[in-house]
Amino acid sequence: MSISQQQLPNDIWQVEVRGRLDQSQTPDLNAALIELINAEHYRLIVNLSDVSYINSGGLRCLVSAWRKAQARNGNVILFGLNDRLCEIFTMIGFDKVFQIYPTQEEALSAMPSL
Amino acid sequence: MGEKHVLKVRGLYNNIRQICDFVTEGAQAAGLGEGAMFHIELACDEACTNIIEHAYEGENVGEIVVSWWVAGSDFVVTFRDNGRSFDPTNVPPPAITDLSTTADPENLRVGGLGIHFMRNLMDDIQYSFDPNKGNTLTMIKHIVGE
Repeated sequence: MSISQQQLPNDIWQVEVRGRLDQSQTPDLNAALIELINAEHYRLIVNLSDVSYINSGGLRCLVSAWRKAQARNGNVILFGLNDRLCEIFTMIGFDKVFQIYPTQEEALSAMPSL
Repeated sequence: MGEKHVLKVRGLYNNIRQICDFVTEGAQAAGLGEGAMFHIELACDEACTNIIEHAYEGENVGEIVVSWWVAGSDFVVTFRDNGRSFDPTNVPPPAITDLSTTADPENLRVGGLGIHFMRNLMDDIQYSFDPNKGNTLTMIKHIVGE
């Protein structure tokens, strides 16, 4: 799995995830999200279009970042989920927790103004 | 009952992928489709995580013995371990309201999520404990075409 970060206008950071969000690889994403939040970047969009698999540990990682961002008036918005990931998010009601969009443009539009 | 296929590995997070591959390859051979294979993979992943975290209470404490076979129109998977008695079917489902921002982010019940997946992704799950044989978790997926 690979993780990369990119700063966008309006202090929005995009996190790119590729591969499988499972036990062996979720720690990399967790470290990236914690680093951003510790640097006081609370407006995050996460590109999951190249993620083929996610388990409960991967979901916990995303929820943890979402909570921390929300507590500081930020947000973690997800986009690009494939059908399998959408099914998993819906199964546990996380589609109601996260704002999830098909494209980056929609995710950016959904981020509240500064 | 079809031929029984068995894999024994140490209870390590890094071995879970091997277990999932072993089972999903069996599911494919049994004629299950891509969607069902994805369900089985995630259910197996969560079952193994529960064994390491709750039955063994840590990594590299004991073995996980995974078996799969076909019984009629069912694909059957069992997990055996020699950890402490842990019945995942008794774990309450996660409460989504716990996700409020006032809750401690680290306290999300991952085990609760895992069993929720196992219940929803598989057609049946059963648990038994024997003082000599340890924990046995059985999960069944009906073999239907997609």
